Amino acid sequence: MRIHFEHVLCTVCRADDCLPIAVGEDFEYRTSDEEFMAVQCRRCRMVYLNPRPDAQGIEHSYPANYHAFQFNESDFGLVYRVRQRLEARRLLRWCRGLPEHAKILDIGCGDGFHLELLQRFGKPTWSIEGIDSDPRAAEGAKRRGIQIKQGSVEEVGFEQKSFDLIFMIMTIEHVSDPLAMLQCVSTLLKPGGRLIIVTDNTDSPDFRIFGNRHWGGYHFPRHLYLFNRQNLGELCQRAGLATVSVRTALSPVNWTYSLRNWIQDWKGPNWIVKRISLESPIALTIFTLVDLPLSLIGLGAILHGEFVKEKSE
Amino acid sequence: MIKPTNELPIAILGGGIAGLTAALHLKNHSVPFVLFESSDAVAGLMKSERDEEGFTYDCGVHFLTNRLAAAIGMSRDCQPMARYGETVHLRGRCYAYPLGLLASPKYLSSALIGKSKSLFASTASTAREYYSSQYGSRLSEEIAIPLTEAWSGANGDEVAAAVGQKFSTGLGRMMMLRTAAKMTNRVIGIGYASTIVESTNSWHVYPQGGISSVCHRIAEKVEENVRLNCNVEQIDVENERVQSIIVNGKPLPVAGVISTAPVHVLPKLVRGTNALAGLEKFEYRAMIFVNLKLNGPSGLTDVVTWVPERDYPFFRLSDIGMGLPWLVPNGKSQVTCDIGCKVGDSHWNMNDSELTKLCIDSLERMIPGIGKRACGSRVVRVPLAYPIFKVEYESKRKSWEQTTGVDGLLSVGRNGEFAHLLMEDVFWRTRWKVSEFLKNSL
Repeated sequence: MRIHFEHVLCTVCRADDCLPIAVGEDFEYRTSDEEFMAVQCRRCRMVYLNPRPDAQGIEHSYPANYHAFQFNESDFGLVYRVRQRLEARRLLRWCRGLPEHAKILDIGCGDGFHLELLQRFGKPTWSIEGIDSDPRAAEGAKRRGIQIKQGSVEEVGFEQKSFDLIFMIMTIEHVSDPLAMLQCVSTLLKPGGRLIIVTDNTDSPDFRIFGNRHWGGYHFPRHLYLFNRQNLGELCQRAGLATVSVRTALSPVNWTYSLRNWIQDWKGPNWIVKRISLESPIALTIFTLVDLPLSLIGLGAILHGEFVKEKSE
Repeated sequence: MIKPTNELPIAILGGGIAGLTAALHLKNHSVPFVLFESSDAVAGLMKSERDEEGFTYDCGVHFLTNRLAAAIGMSRDCQPMARYGETVHLRGRCYAYPLGLLASPKYLSSALIGKSKSLFASTASTAREYYSSQYGSRLSEEIAIPLTEAWSGANGDEVAAAVGQKFSTGLGRMMMLRTAAKMTNRVIGIGYASTIVESTNSWHVYPQGGISSVCHRIAEKVEENVRLNCNVEQIDVENERVQSIIVNGKPLPVAGVISTAPVHVLPKLVRGTNALAGLEKFEYRAMIFVNLKLNGPSGLTDVVTWVPERDYPFFRLSDIGMGLPWLVPNGKSQVTCDIGCKVGDSHWNMNDSELTKLCIDSLERMIPGIGKRACGSRVVRVPLAYPIFKVEYESKRKSWEQTTGVDGLLSVGRNGEFAHLLMEDVFWRTRWKVSEFLKNSL
């Protein structure tokens, strides 16, 4: 399929003043033989795909076996079980202080991995909903026995000012207009309601080392906008959401993908490539140990942002 | 992004890569514009032709990277270059560049002496001073200066040091990039972009349909605003601000002008200001590209061979098929001989068969028997090929790099900026300059 490209502006400062910083391929799924370009805004350092595939091209870049549509125990084994425990702890930490009948929404919920954890470990009185734009995510969620809404959050018509907590876990980087989505999220939150964003960190050592081609966070061409602490906070502020905190956190995923992409691209031995994957507990353990000290000094591979809809809004 | 408030269009002069890049940038920002191209096709110096036998002819050698192809959204239409390397032909021997030269004790000692002297040398103002301080006198006098003189037509003392400073990739960096090239089996670009950082992840690719397809791909996106066979005859300036142009005899009010015209031509078009005085002195070098078609391999050792000895008519030879095999038919090769000249000089006035004979006779000294394998030629003449960086107008050139001095007038591209820019430089610099132009000048 021939991909048609469109030109985009920086989502934070709406400028078109960028430097090309990386060219890469769809290393993980090989959905296309195109090369894609990541640029960095010279004003706010936002990293984004430009030119980027049009809506049809983006849709084409999510294959049926995309990991977010079917992250399950049978394929990922020990990795799945460990991640379940870690993610459940993280989620419950963010849920502290929620009222008895809190409403929670997970935007870009994929196959409902996090929703399932919230249902299992959260309070039974909580109302938990999920939405994803891809119908295959809804199918994946159905397999877990979870109902989610399919479509874009702007169009589905959730009740305004109704949610106490909204999650966007590894979602915002996939969104074609993050500001518009955050503005919509802002209208859905109750005054004092919180938004949790988890996304890749462009102020991390893995980005500095691999950022001119192989960085896993590019996930070419599916990650359209990539953030650091400053520009994530700035964008949320423009959408009417005040920053509570933006911290970096530990994640072995981008390290694993980056190294794998590099070895594969430089025609390294296949037996090594196969051993560096998200299914490999050894690779994930090694890179967890690499990223652990980095996350302790604020240079972790991913960002955890907590934002609040101010009561005066 | 600031748009022209009066909704008048911006006129773009010239449909080469710079003009088209400017047009696409304006379109992306919904700024009204019209691109005027005086000939009947876009592409300018990036035109390419394919003959009935399957040989492709460009105007000289063009270097496109995967990075630029991705920026234009045409990486799928490009193939990686098969191989690339440069050699220097000197006194009947070929030295690989740069390691082969540095393996020779006389050139190595020259380079080391030059480098150590450069630590204490004052800033060079001429090409001769620059090369001598960088490479030592032997490498400078035997290779760098003769090549610069053949390429520019000016003496090494007349040419400004900036000509060398443009493309200086340090030896350490070059070695790192070359090692990466060996490991990845890619032709990593070294010394072919000065605006954007060279990287192990930027390598040479080439469009299947010849280099002109780069321009055609951009032109597809702006074609409704492209006017072919339209000659802009005059640019009217009042109070140091562009007001209107005259195209094919008709006046047209404009918000501004983005020109890719050679800078010595521009003052002849602009009326109502003295800001461009002095530019008419700027000179460009003409080039003749003699494309020799050969049966079998060319016999050259690498894709590019530099020929600094003055008794050869050409200073550079390129074996296109060695690097880009799909541009020549199977079992054939194509050698392009680059001859620097002046419009109207003895080389320029030779007819095609005289030039072909001259090149073949000279090549016989390098590759005996090559004449018997010659099976035709195509000669391409380019009257304005490269800017000549002369010391006499270097200060004016530097101020020209900053501004044209006229509100609403921007000059872009290799000829428009009067700078030795390569394709990727032209693309990015044009985008940045047009952004600044929209912000500050309209």
